[in-house]
Amino acid sequence: MRTGDFKQTYGELVTLVDSPPVWLWSAVLVAALIVAPFVLNSYALSFLMTILITAVGALGLNILTGYTGLISLGHVGFLVTGAYAYAVLVSKYHMPPLVGFFGAGVVPALASLIVGAPSLRLKGLYLAITTLAFSFIINTVILEARWLTNGARGISVQRPEIFGLSSDSDAAFTYLCLGFAVLTLIATLNIRRSRVGRAFVAIRDNDTAARVMGINLHAYKLFAFVTSAFFTGLSGALYGIYLSFVSVEGFPFLLSIEALAILIVGGLGSALGAVLGTVLIVLLPEATRMVFSLFSAQMDALFSTGAQELKSMLYGLVIILFLRFQPRGLVGAWHDIRRLWVNWPLRY
Amino acid sequence: MQYLIQLLVSGLAIGAIYGLIAMGFAVIYKSTGLVNFAQGEMTMITAYIAWTISTTVSGNVFVVALGAILAAVVLGLVIERVVMRPMLGEPVFATVMVTIGLAVILRSSINFIWDAYPHGLDIGVGRTIVRIGPIGVRTGQIAVIVTLLLLLAAIWAFFRYSKIGVAMRAVAADDRTALLMGISATRIHALAWAASSVIAGIGGVFFALSYDLSPAMFQLGLKAFPATILGGLDAVLGSGLGGLLIGVTENLAGGYLGSGMKEVAGFAMIIVVLMVRPFGIFGERDIERV
Repeated sequence: MRTGDFKQTYGELVTLVDSPPVWLWSAVLVAALIVAPFVLNSYALSFLMTILITAVGALGLNILTGYTGLISLGHVGFLVTGAYAYAVLVSKYHMPPLVGFFGAGVVPALASLIVGAPSLRLKGLYLAITTLAFSFIINTVILEARWLTNGARGISVQRPEIFGLSSDSDAAFTYLCLGFAVLTLIATLNIRRSRVGRAFVAIRDNDTAARVMGINLHAYKLFAFVTSAFFTGLSGALYGIYLSFVSVEGFPFLLSIEALAILIVGGLGSALGAVLGTVLIVLLPEATRMVFSLFSAQMDALFSTGAQELKSMLYGLVIILFLRFQPRGLVGAWHDIRRLWVNWPLRY
Repeated sequence: MQYLIQLLVSGLAIGAIYGLIAMGFAVIYKSTGLVNFAQGEMTMITAYIAWTISTTVSGNVFVVALGAILAAVVLGLVIERVVMRPMLGEPVFATVMVTIGLAVILRSSINFIWDAYPHGLDIGVGRTIVRIGPIGVRTGQIAVIVTLLLLLAAIWAFFRYSKIGVAMRAVAADDRTALLMGISATRIHALAWAASSVIAGIGGVFFALSYDLSPAMFQLGLKAFPATILGGLDAVLGSGLGGLLIGVTENLAGGYLGSGMKEVAGFAMIIVVLMVRPFGIFGERDIERV
């Protein structure tokens, strides 16, 4: 009888994937995603693109909030910096898109150094407050620096052409987003199982103990913040391309809350959680709309007039309810189900 | 010179509003150890309720004031009982995230309960302009500065002399020992939420008197953040004074450097304060022994 999942060497503890079926199912998922653009209609495909783009940003924030346990309320600031970095480099100075994507990662990372260096020396919630401040400052900076960013008029962005392959069609752009999402996922999983990732988790669980074990708190927190800003910036560039227009209004503060909701719903500190959370949160407003429109046309009308407000209300409710009743998120629920499946009819 | 004085006076007036809201932050932080990210939204709701009372029940100043204070108490108590108390004993991270969730819900509820248009709170006071020498000041602006100073004195006396005030300080210092001394921590928390809601709500009503109500009013909470960081998160009086300082700085930056600077002056100040004196001017330095 199978009694559990035992690890016998240190190597087994840090492998990327600990059982062959996970490889199989991952391969099936990737294959399904590759076929998806040919099967789905353009409405469903737009959701798939949003999920993939959001997943990149959520995985980025997960490094900071999930692994290292620091709250950032200003990740929309890095999103908008990344989008503008790409737009300015590619649309304004006609650089190749790959340079644009590189800039979209590096510029927010540099910005995060400026914000992080003073605020990460402190314990507690100060990072949440300074990042909140940053996201407002950066909007003003962008609006004032007209010579670079066109101010309030924004910059329009074309779909990029990489290695001679154009991503003009929705299917091609989906593949581009899929590539970024898969690379980000692999990168975060590898960070988590390395020495750096273990240091992050040690800081989250007990920073005093981590310090005693020789982890340089300031350096590692800063590293987590910079890495997180890098991936968030990439996500911002993709989102800018998806919208085909980059402006300050395209990146409302609600996106910061949405990102935190994703992590809480999925389960903090897990890459799988960030992905599951993304799927749920992106589809949640649409799913709610469908459920309510079954009951009455009046509710449907309400959804079209107050869409933004209903969305934020849903995010708020989801955050509170999950923290109250399922603080480990969807991943926690999945683990419970798996344990039940393995151990049934015994309790443990 | 006259321009400078005018900027200083209007800076003090808006600063007093920031100060009131910042005191709301500090009261909750001091007794529960939480940063309440929904403070600005609670302020906005109280101001909207005051406006509803003024248009439906009576425009009398005292009726509106009493109604607003009662509404703020009820709002604070309900939020504490329904949303915050079940989270008692959970990690700070989770509880703070709950206040963020609450903030988003309250913010969007404005558009469903009221509407998205700006309204003026007109109860016949506060908008007349008084001339003191060369400068003109609204009576509402004078009233808010006076109110802030009175409240500062009252709160100082409350924490210094009253039994409940001492109990609140005890819970803040060490909640277990306070429990052993027979102080009910939950009751103190409820009281702190009600008090914070009232103090911030007064600020919100004054804001509505001098300026206008709109669904963007929750940003007052964001503006009050620098004030409470500057004064010290755990210093109620310091936060009030920090508000005045932030208001003046913001107005001077707006007057001499341009309107874009006005919006970010406070936030830029947060980053400077955190670099130089992270516990604020009046806050207590946190000492940890390993």
